[in-house]
Amino acid sequence: MPEPPPPGRQDVKETASPELGGMAARADPTAAAGIRVVLADDSVLFREGLARVLADHGFVVAGQAGDADGLHAAVQRETPDVVVTDIRMPPTNTNEGLLAAQRIRAEHPGVGVLVLSHYVETRQAIKLLQNTPQRVGYLLKDRVSDITEFTDTVRRIARGGSVIDPEVVAHLLRRRADGPLAGLTSREQDILALMAQGRSNRAIGERLFLSPKTVETHVGAIFTKLGLLPAADDHRRVLAVITYLKNA
Amino acid sequence: MTKRRWGLFALGITLLGWVIGGEWVSIHALVPENHFIDALPGLSFLVAGIVALDRRPGNCIGWLMIAYVVVSYLGNWGNLQVPVVPAIGGSIGQQLGGAILAHMGLSYPTGRLRTRFERAVIGIIYGVSSVASLVILLAFDPRADGCARCAWELAPFPSRTAVLTANLVAQRLGFILVLLFLAAVWLRWRRATPAERRELAPLWVAVCVVCVVDLMGAFASPFPVVQPFAYLVWELQSLLYVSLPIIFLWGLLSARLARSAVGDLVIQLDRPLPPGELRACLARALVDPPLEVLYARDGLDGWVDAGGQPRSLPEPASGPRTKTVTVVERGGQALAALIHDPALDQGLVQAAAAAAGMAIANERLQAEVRAQLEEVRASRQRIVEAGDAERRRVERNIHDGAQQRMATLALSLAMLRDRAASDPAMAASLDQAAAELRQAIAELRELARGIHPAILTEEGLPAAVEALADRSALPVRVLADFDERLPWPIEATAYFVVAESLANVTKYARASGARVELSRCNGTLRVAVTDNGVGGADATRGSGLRGLEDRVCAVRGSFRVDNPPDGGTRVLAEIPCDA
Repeated sequence: MPEPPPPGRQDVKETASPELGGMAARADPTAAAGIRVVLADDSVLFREGLARVLADHGFVVAGQAGDADGLHAAVQRETPDVVVTDIRMPPTNTNEGLLAAQRIRAEHPGVGVLVLSHYVETRQAIKLLQNTPQRVGYLLKDRVSDITEFTDTVRRIARGGSVIDPEVVAHLLRRRADGPLAGLTSREQDILALMAQGRSNRAIGERLFLSPKTVETHVGAIFTKLGLLPAADDHRRVLAVITYLKNA
Repeated sequence: MTKRRWGLFALGITLLGWVIGGEWVSIHALVPENHFIDALPGLSFLVAGIVALDRRPGNCIGWLMIAYVVVSYLGNWGNLQVPVVPAIGGSIGQQLGGAILAHMGLSYPTGRLRTRFERAVIGIIYGVSSVASLVILLAFDPRADGCARCAWELAPFPSRTAVLTANLVAQRLGFILVLLFLAAVWLRWRRATPAERRELAPLWVAVCVVCVVDLMGAFASPFPVVQPFAYLVWELQSLLYVSLPIIFLWGLLSARLARSAVGDLVIQLDRPLPPGELRACLARALVDPPLEVLYARDGLDGWVDAGGQPRSLPEPASGPRTKTVTVVERGGQALAALIHDPALDQGLVQAAAAAAGMAIANERLQAEVRAQLEEVRASRQRIVEAGDAERRRVERNIHDGAQQRMATLALSLAMLRDRAASDPAMAASLDQAAAELRQAIAELRELARGIHPAILTEEGLPAAVEALADRSALPVRVLADFDERLPWPIEATAYFVVAESLANVTKYARASGARVELSRCNGTLRVAVTDNGVGGADATRGSGLRGLEDRVCAVRGSFRVDNPPDGGTRVLAEIPCDA
C-alpha cells in the first residue's frame, strides 16, 4: 500500500531534523587516527566502499564480516573501538545486526556499535538504547553518502557518545506533539533533536549559528520544561532525551 | 414351525417332565415342603430358557438356564429309591446350581465371557463346586447318621470328617468366590460404555435379588429345619428365584423394547433442527452419548461433519474401544455414517437411521453447503496469503537488490565528490547527482515500505503499527496489550487494516487525531482504529473498506465500521489467532 507523504510532514521533518552535513564540525581531523573499526554487511561492494572511505579518513579497518557469526568472531579477535553493521544479514535477513549489536554491547562494553538500516524505526532505536545507552548509533544506510557527517558519527561513538538518526528523533518528537513537548519552542525542539544526535553545545551552536552561551540557555530551558536535571555528559543527554521520549 | 422350534418344543416338554417328575418323586418320598412353590423357579427358568434359545439363538444363556433347571431338580430325583441317583442328585444338585447362576450373570448379555479375569473367576467357581461335589459323592454316608430311607446312597469311602471338611471349605471359599464374582461384575460396569451400561442394568437387579436371597438364607440357617419360619424363608427364596430368569430374559430382549425410543425419535425429528441437534437426538434415542454422524460429500470422496469440516471414518481396526460404523444409504448411495458403540443392537441402529432418514438427508445438504463454503473461504485465504507472500518477496528483492546497489552508488558518488573538491564544476554536478540519488533512495524506501514493511517481518505487529503512527500526518496514539509475534497472515491482515484505516482518516475524516488499539483476548486479535472526525464512513461503499472486509473475512475474522453518535468513525476487526 503506497503511502503518500502526508501534508505537513515535511515541515515537521525540517524543524526536527535539519539537513546533515555541510556545517559538520570537522574540528579535529586527526581525531580518527587509530580508531579501529570492524565492518559487517552481506554486500561485499558496500562493505569495501565503506572500508575505503574509513581508511581514507584515518580509521583502521581491523576486520570485515558478511554475517553475524563472522562479526562476533571478528569482534572477539580484534576488540575494535567501533563496529559498523548492517541490520539485515544472513541467515534470516531480518534483524541480525540489531541482535548482534545488543550482544556486543553486553559482552564487550568498550566496543561501540553503529547499526545501519535501509529503514529506521522507533522501536528498534529504543531496543538498541534501552539496555546500554552509551556507544550506540542507529542510522539510515544512505547517510554514509555524507562522508564527513558519517565519519564524524563514528568518531562520536568511539568517544562514548550515542547517535540516533534524525528521522527517528523527528518521529519521537511528533509522536509526543500532544504532550509536554508541545511546550517547547521550535528552536528548542531543533536543539533537542541535535542533542539526540549526541552533539555538544558547541556543535549545536555552530550548526544553528548560535553562541554556545545561547545554546546553554536553551538546553537549560528544555531540561526545566521536561523536568530533567541537566547533565554534562553527551551520552547522558541522549539517554535523558530518549528515556523521556520513550516514557512520556 | 421350523425344525429348530420343534426341537425346542420337545426339549421344553422333556424338561417340564423333569421338573414335575422331580416334585412327584419328592411328594412320594414325603419331603416336607410346598411342592408347588418349589416347582415355580424351575418352571420360570425353563420357560425363559426356551424363549431365550428361540429369540437369541447362538447365545449360551438359554442353555445355561436349561442346565440350571436340570441340575437344581437333580436333588428331587435323589429321593428316588434307585441306586446311584440319590447320591448324584444330592451332591451335584446342591453345589453346581450357584456356579451356573454365576456363569449366567457374568456372560450376560452376550453369552460370552470377555476378559481373562472373568473366565478365571467362573473356572474357579466351577472347579470348587465340582471338587466339593465329588468329595461328598464319595464320602457322604447318611446311613452312618441313622437314615432309614437312605439304603441306596453310594459311599465307597465313607468319611464324616471328609464331608464336614469339604462343606466347610466350600462354604468359606464360597464367600471369597462371591466377592470375586462381584468384583468381576463391578469391573465390567466400570469398563462399560453408556450403551453397555444400559444393558447391564438387569444384571445388577439380578445380583441384588441373589444377595437378598442369600442374606435370607443366612438369616434362616440358625433355625432348625423343622421350624415353620425357616420354611417361610425358603419359600420366599423360591419366589425370588422365579424373578431371576425373567429379569435376564427381559434384558436379553430389551433391544426390542428400545425400539420404542425410535418412535420418540420420529416425533422429535418432526420439526426444524438446529445444526448438530440431529446427532443429539440420535445419541439420546440410542443411549450412546458419543455417537457421531458424518455425511458423505456430494460427488466427492470423503466425509464431513454437520459443520462441513472434513472428517474421516474410524479405521475398522481391532481393539476393545473400536467404534462401529453404520452407513446409511438411499438408492444405493451413501448418505451418512453413524459412528456408534459396537454394543448397540444393529437392528436398532438401522431402525433409528431409517426413522431419521429425512432429517439426515436434510442435514447432509446443509453440511454440503457448509463444506463448499469452507472450501471457498480456504481458497480465498490461500489467494490472500499468496499475495502477501509475493509482496514480502518483492520487498526483499528491492531491499537486497536496488536499495543495496543505490546505497553503494551513493557511497561511490560521495568518494568521487571528495576527490573532485578542487574542480568546482565537477563538484557541483556530483552534488546534484547525489541529491537526486538521495531523493530516489527515499522514494524507493517509501515504495518498498508500502509494499510490505520490513518492520512487520522484523519486529511484529505492534512495532509496525507504531511505525505507521510515526509516519501518519495526524497524531496517532497506539495502545497494544501484547508484544508477541502472531502467524504472519494475521499480522499482515491486521497491519493493512490499520494502514488503510489511517489513510482513510487522513484523507476523509477531517479528524485532529486517531487511536489504534491492538488487544488479544480469548484467542482473538482485536484491532480498533478510532478517529474524532466527521464520521460517515460506510463499509458498503468505497473499495478500500470493502477490500479490508474481504481480507479480514479471508482469515475468518469479522469487520465492522461504526459511526458513533458522538462523532468520529471506528473501524473494528476481530481476527481469531489461536497461537
